[in-house]
Amino acid sequence: MEAEIRNRPAFANLIVNLQAGEKIVAEADAMASMSSSIEMSTRWNGSVFSALARRYLGSESMFVNEFTTSSTGHVVLTQPFPGDMACIELQGNTMFLQPGAFIACEPSVNLGLGWAGWRSYFGGEGLFRLKVSGKGRVWFGAYGAIFTRDIQDEYIVDTGHLVAYEPSINIRLGLAGGIFSSFFGGEGLVTRVKGPGKIYMQSRSFDGLAAWTNSHLY
Amino acid sequence: MSATLEHEISLRPDFSLLTVKLQSGQRVHAEPSAMAAMSPTLDMKAGLKGGALKSLGRMFGGESMIVNTFTAARGAGEVVFAPGHLGDTQHYHLSGGSLMLQRGAFMAHSDGVEVTGKWQGAKGFFSGEGLVLLKASGQGDIFFNSYGAVLQIDVSGDFMVDTGYIVAFEDTLMYNVTTLPGLRGGGFKRLFFSGEGLVCRFQGQGKLWIQTRYAAPYLSWIHQFRPTKNN
Amino acid sequence: MKYQMLCRPAATAIRFQLEQGEGITCEVGAMIAMSTGLTVNTTSKSRGGSGGIIKGLKRMFSGENFFLNHFTAQQSNQSLLIGPAMMGDCVHHTLTGGTMIVQGTSWLASTGNIEIDTSWQGFSSALFSGESMFWVKCSGAGDLFLSSYGAIYPVQVNGEYTVDTGHIVAFEDTLQFRIGKAGKSLIGSFLGGEGLVCKFQGQGTLYCQSHNPPSFGKLLGPKLRPR
Repeated sequence: MEAEIRNRPAFANLIVNLQAGEKIVAEADAMASMSSSIEMSTRWNGSVFSALARRYLGSESMFVNEFTTSSTGHVVLTQPFPGDMACIELQGNTMFLQPGAFIACEPSVNLGLGWAGWRSYFGGEGLFRLKVSGKGRVWFGAYGAIFTRDIQDEYIVDTGHLVAYEPSINIRLGLAGGIFSSFFGGEGLVTRVKGPGKIYMQSRSFDGLAAWTNSHLY
Repeated sequence: MSATLEHEISLRPDFSLLTVKLQSGQRVHAEPSAMAAMSPTLDMKAGLKGGALKSLGRMFGGESMIVNTFTAARGAGEVVFAPGHLGDTQHYHLSGGSLMLQRGAFMAHSDGVEVTGKWQGAKGFFSGEGLVLLKASGQGDIFFNSYGAVLQIDVSGDFMVDTGYIVAFEDTLMYNVTTLPGLRGGGFKRLFFSGEGLVCRFQGQGKLWIQTRYAAPYLSWIHQFRPTKNN
Repeated sequence: MKYQMLCRPAATAIRFQLEQGEGITCEVGAMIAMSTGLTVNTTSKSRGGSGGIIKGLKRMFSGENFFLNHFTAQQSNQSLLIGPAMMGDCVHHTLTGGTMIVQGTSWLASTGNIEIDTSWQGFSSALFSGESMFWVKCSGAGDLFLSSYGAIYPVQVNGEYTVDTGHIVAFEDTLQFRIGKAGKSLIGSFLGGEGLVCKFQGQGTLYCQSHNPPSFGKLLGPKLRPR
């Protein structure tokens, strides 16, 4: 199945060329346009509990769409905000994604919910993180440009700038400076990441956009 | 251009990132909430930079009174900065002259640089929510952001810019704000927030940075999606 | 007249170079910067034809009626830099006598004898999930400049093509269209997030945008201060 991410990193979108019988699974509301030969069907995403948990505590929709064709055609998939997209090819390994980052995957990939721990709750990302595993490609996106960092020891990341990370990465919430500094300095809680492992970061944060917008609104 | 701070601006031009690499003991001062990541060898402290007066000046210019100071206290390290919106980042090295900067464009500066909203000619220059300029002077580095893409214009003679699109300019340029006969100050610029349809005429020699978008239309548009108070 | 697209695709601006006597018509508010040898005047209709204005026609941002700035070069080698209101891309399309239906906020500028008619009512606004969209009919011969939210991609329709209604920038009126549901079942369509789609048929050029503003607004809105 041919797929290409276009217009990186500002308004990235994914064009998927499907041959007869091929299928792609995508986040609800991701379709921008498609050939008329493409059929779209909707499926309930996972077990009732995990789907509801994801809806109320994470930000993925309860439903995903499946796109397939009996001949040939393409579908253009997008995300609600401006930003970048990246692709990971899973080969039996696991990745954790922040809520809202998932866009699409091959049907062979398992989508599940992972417990991110009580101490990640206050970062505004919710109690859960999306867990992708199995074999196949996963496409995810973020507000901002996506870049990677190989973490050896420890690194401090503003929580809204973390998109995805390998399971070998340990994440822990903390305060940026001293208590007083954090409160007034605009840097609230940060995530301390400990390696070794790879993290995916985004060069903007949606919460940062909200804060900047709020500072200009009456 | 020379620089005091070792730095790199990456992921340009739309979602740019500024990485400042500090030597042990070196400092950088930044807009609150600009930090995206940092090494654990750095200390971050919020405070009033440069004493109360200069900070109040900066508040007049629309910047908040508090800047964060990052110090490489426990060894060399890096700090990564990003603004909240889509856009580019520029570096400018000051060595005696001054740089005029649109409020909201300021992101970070090194030691040796003073940034103030109170300077001769500042007050009353632009009306309402219109363009308010900060003045950066001294010896050192200043980093500023654009909303949207940035274009550097080497002005030599005469050049006219709608005031909402001015990011920064060297103080060697003369400028004059007027309305343009026939250019209706309306459309998507006369909004909730401002957009008087004013133009600034630059003359002389110097560098001018303009942006290709303006925040007010976005702010006016997003208003309809805000929660209402009864919710 | 020469033009150049700058800073694509996120914050695209268009730089025009005009010789004496040349002119261009732009959306009011689009001017970023210009040479001093250009004059500008404002009208409420296109220069070329009758172009009607519907009373009370609301623009998405300001509620203004549809006004136009006409720029004319009084000297040679004048430059004009324009940009649309929202982040996104711009594209140039040459009209050679045909007609292009353009989403209202996507019309940016045009030259020549292109007539701009805001009275086109081909899409009932009720079908567009409450968005106050309006459409502009551009006909004649000349250069047409469109803007988008997101990147613009053209599709040469030859048969049938489906577009989510929020992603249509412009299309040639040689295409037929109907509004329908995206998936196999109506319930599936709404729950699956895809609301209504537009199915184009025939032959012609269609411009789509990669993103749509309401999806972005609905996601960011809840995080903002109440009004």
